[in-house]
Amino acid sequence: MSPGLHTKPAVVKAASALLTEMQGVSSSLTYAALLTDDGFDVARLPGETDGARFAGMASSMQALGDAVTHELKIGNSEYIIIASGKGYVVQLRVPGKELVLSALWDNDATVGNALAISRSYAQKMADLLK
Amino acid sequence: MAEHVILFTGPMGAGKTTAIESLSEIEVVRTEANNSERHIADKPTTTVALDYGEILIGAEEKVRLYGIPGQKRFDFMWAILKKRAKGMILLVNSDAPDPIEEMLSFIEEFRELYDRGGVVIGVSRADVVAGPTLGDYSDALERTNPDMVIPVFTVDPRNRDQMENVLLALIANIEMRAMFGMMTTEAV
Repeated sequence: MSPGLHTKPAVVKAASALLTEMQGVSSSLTYAALLTDDGFDVARLPGETDGARFAGMASSMQALGDAVTHELKIGNSEYIIIASGKGYVVQLRVPGKELVLSALWDNDATVGNALAISRSYAQKMADLLK
Repeated sequence: MAEHVILFTGPMGAGKTTAIESLSEIEVVRTEANNSERHIADKPTTTVALDYGEILIGAEEKVRLYGIPGQKRFDFMWAILKKRAKGMILLVNSDAPDPIEEMLSFIEEFRELYDRGGVVIGVSRADVVAGPTLGDYSDALERTNPDMVIPVFTVDPRNRDQMENVLLALIANIEMRAMFGMMTTEAV
């Protein structure tokens, strides 16, 4: 992957539009970002989060998830969930791409619903990049 | 069984993952992603969280080998990993634009590992370009950190024997400093 998807204006524009559309689907989505496997911010919803820093962290988390599933011999990591008292993060890879979607939800959303929306938009992003 | 936790640090492309692969006696835990900064380090993948390997020194000393991602944007991993380490092998690639400045910035960033254990420096790719000499690295260290005693080697991270020598030098350094520290504490 050279140069990275984060350097391609058409990809960045499409990713931003997709995240905005995703936020329109659920008011519980409080932050979302699309990032490259090696930790570059491609697009994100507006917010107080430091997008560059979060992209690095999310890519590390994705890679650690992959390392854990490899170590335990349970196939590929499908998604990662981090739950806290104030909400939860759902993260998954855009199918077939070197891109990760990470989304923060408040506690009004169910994990199942958040995961379903996240999966659907990860697939939409993959379709856009075909 | 005694245990050491050693951190491999240095910029992207210095050979940290390769060095751990050379040394480790277990399958290395790797967290690689495709590298979209080929203009900085021309290699297909890069570490984005950590590398992890293990090696036994003699029959009694287990050494846990952790590698950091070299890019500053992963410095949250640096903070996590440096907490658990007692020594550092800092690898610097001689063909970087300014390898001495890279070395000094990593020394500064990971200074607590010197205070807590010890540090050695391995200069990689010294055979590829006519970069600074070992004396240049030592002089820069002496000038900026006159209180530190840090051995500097040239290394090929692919060469297990060379990496083992560097690791043993670090462990000897850590143990000597620990002993010296105990002696001075007792003297006081």
